[in-house]
Amino acid sequence: MKLSAILPVARVLRRELAVTALLLLGVSVVVFAVLYLAPGDPLNVLLEGQSPRAQLAAREALGVPHTWYGRYGTWLAKVLQGNFGNSIRTGLPVLPELARVGVNTLVLTLGSLLLTLVIAVPIAVHAAVNGDTAGNTAATVAAYVLSAVPVFWFGYIVVYVFIHWFGMFPLISGAATKQPHAWLYFLVPIFVLGTASGTLAELIRHLREELSRVLAEDYIRTARAKGAAVWRHAFKEGFLIPVTEIMSAKIPFLLGGAVIVEQVFNWPGMGRMAWQAAQDRDFPVIMGVALVAAAFVRTGNLLQRVVFTMVNPRASKE
Amino acid sequence: MKRFLSIALLALATCAAAHAAPKNDGRPDGGLLNYSEFGRTATVDPITSNETISLRITELVFNGLVGIDEKQEIVPELAERWEVSKDGRTFTFFLRKDVKWHPREGEEPRPFTADDVVFTWNIMMNPRTITPLKVRYEFIEKVQKTGDYTVVFTLKRPILNALAKFTFKVIPRHGPANPEYLTREDPFARAPIGTGPYMLKTITGDGEVVLLSNPDYFKGKAHIDKFIAKPFADQNIMAQALMFNAVDMIVLVNPRNLPEVQGDKRFVLQPYNALSYSFFGYNMRNPLLSDRRVREAIAEAINRQEMLNSFFNGQGTLISGPFAPGSWAYNLDVKPLPFNPERARSLLAEAGYKAGADGVMEKDGKKLALSLKVPIEKESEAVKRVVLAFQNYLKSVGIAINVEFKEWQAWKEDVFLEHNFDIMFASWVFDDSADISSLFHSAEIGDWKNNFGGYSNPEVDALIVESKLTLDFEKRRTINRKLHAILAEEQPYAFLWTLTNYSAYHRKVRRVQIHPYKFFSFADEWFIPVSEQK
Repeated sequence: MKLSAILPVARVLRRELAVTALLLLGVSVVVFAVLYLAPGDPLNVLLEGQSPRAQLAAREALGVPHTWYGRYGTWLAKVLQGNFGNSIRTGLPVLPELARVGVNTLVLTLGSLLLTLVIAVPIAVHAAVNGDTAGNTAATVAAYVLSAVPVFWFGYIVVYVFIHWFGMFPLISGAATKQPHAWLYFLVPIFVLGTASGTLAELIRHLREELSRVLAEDYIRTARAKGAAVWRHAFKEGFLIPVTEIMSAKIPFLLGGAVIVEQVFNWPGMGRMAWQAAQDRDFPVIMGVALVAAAFVRTGNLLQRVVFTMVNPRASKE
Repeated sequence: MKRFLSIALLALATCAAAHAAPKNDGRPDGGLLNYSEFGRTATVDPITSNETISLRITELVFNGLVGIDEKQEIVPELAERWEVSKDGRTFTFFLRKDVKWHPREGEEPRPFTADDVVFTWNIMMNPRTITPLKVRYEFIEKVQKTGDYTVVFTLKRPILNALAKFTFKVIPRHGPANPEYLTREDPFARAPIGTGPYMLKTITGDGEVVLLSNPDYFKGKAHIDKFIAKPFADQNIMAQALMFNAVDMIVLVNPRNLPEVQGDKRFVLQPYNALSYSFFGYNMRNPLLSDRRVREAIAEAINRQEMLNSFFNGQGTLISGPFAPGSWAYNLDVKPLPFNPERARSLLAEAGYKAGADGVMEKDGKKLALSLKVPIEKESEAVKRVVLAFQNYLKSVGIAINVEFKEWQAWKEDVFLEHNFDIMFASWVFDDSADISSLFHSAEIGDWKNNFGGYSNPEVDALIVESKLTLDFEKRRTINRKLHAILAEEQPYAFLWTLTNYSAYHRKVRRVQIHPYKFFSFADEWFIPVSEQK
């Protein structure tokens, strides 16, 4: 790759990374404030039903600062040294736990993104190139219906269908599962999230509109007149940009959907961890999950910016 | 006193025959039992853990000085016999000499001695150890080792049934990384070693707990080779997992899934008694509710049998008073109040209430409108139905109920700290002590104390104190029966029901006995026939 192609990207990244750091700090402040103001106490999970005297002694023993800024400050100082603390409930260090379940969530969300692409792109491209046909209209309507269905409901339906129609039990519970083709079951939650998360319909609509618009542009007409490859000319603006735009905008929704899918399918991911931690007021875990989720969303945005800058280097100076 | 003596003698007789080896009872060894849990364990040592899932696992991994058998009798475990001083304040335990701790990877198993008992006690009572056990053992003054296999406990004052308290699980001196106190961060909390029938092999990343049969178990090696606890996030899915043989046992079946499991010949549904009950508790600080007639009217306006039948498939029993049904203290002669809305209306009229324009009862211009605070729990569906039914029943006799669902911690603050509620809905779970003093004694009114309703009755106070002080079991039983009758009459709670717990398991597992709340106490006797082990 030429230097002239990398420089603008580097410029964008430098600026955006600084913003990212600020953003993560902001997220941590907001989440901390919400936790602090919410009723209940993070130590309650340990102190359930104990006398006030015992509770006070425990607090002293654990060395929990009394003020809110004391608590936030200690937490932040540790995080800057790469220590996210230990879960109050399980006593396990937060960071390795997050890494472990984060991978599972990543597999789930990226897998479902890929599936969405595989389904949406052919439909959208076909519609943009050929106009409305009976086939692609039907496919589009089906995609809209699927997207409108709530994820948890669709999840239960799929579980039901697998169990009662196919006589299969589509849930993985850890490495001890010795069912034949166990890995196949991994695809079921990915299928549910990929089709029912709402991304499908939006991707089809957006890609179809953008691609149709670009295909009608003057430069495409010129290319077509010259006999050049229309597809190659239309690819960047008509395909790459709309797809990355929608994908990066949809990551937060996918993460939200992942919480539900993980719950329904017993998938040991970050969503379930967050759900459990929220119920227990497990402060270090909630903060950790929030930061990782924010970083994940931000990474999606950054990738989209990088693609955009590579397509259009002038954008880096804006 | 006589009772203790006879048990000690019995202990001598039985321990002579037992030594670490196969059980030699003619039943086969081998096989694997997968059981499902609703939720994951946090820690699995007996000191820092405070949830039932962990309690079940510690029951497999550890032993107490004494245990409780199928008939709720106290039997020797790590202590082979004991002596009690005449004044009931000194308990001397003589420990078994043939007990070994589970070995750690690459280590030889170490012997269990009196030092471990003293160590467990010290670590439990260290102020920096956070454990729910501390409160329960404050009656002990000190613990001394008087020989390698002799431990002496001195009590602050004699208490009835003290022996039952020595069921606490003993941990090894070489267990925790920190010898002073135990926190959840200690590696021991997730990788404990004990003396029990099963050794904890590992907790996988997905939260599965793998347990292997201990070949050196002092009561003889447990029959089933391996237990695996599998966590589930959804109860319906858990029932499906049983149907598809992904698990062999559900420790507690959701009432909704009972019919499905019941209809399947492959499985056994085994009821076990839980020492718990549900109730609506009143705030006596509210003058409307301090009138006994209003409380009785509420109890008679609600059809508890109908609620039990429709929301819990009738899997339970109505109760009449404050003790856990199934406990010796429960007075079966007191009958639950019947459903009688007519009487409820006349009680309200007697109390001076008249129906207002909107159908709600009024007295001196004040409406009989009450707030009901309900905690949102993991499985709140049945609870929601109960609460809405309660609201409807009371509406028909002219009592307006404003239901507020609250997040668990916030609910606890409202009820136990702020006392900002009129009626609350909850359940109590008891251990075997049948002690209700913290619920109804007036000294227990205050921040975070269990007499949240502020119920105060000198007669009840006196009976509670008397019951605690007496060392005569029959006398204590008589007092508790009286307490039961008084509180049933007084209705500080609308006592509802106790639900029957059901465990479901595959028929291949045989000789299954279940302890009411520790569950696995007798699991070393369970077995799977050789033909069904695969």
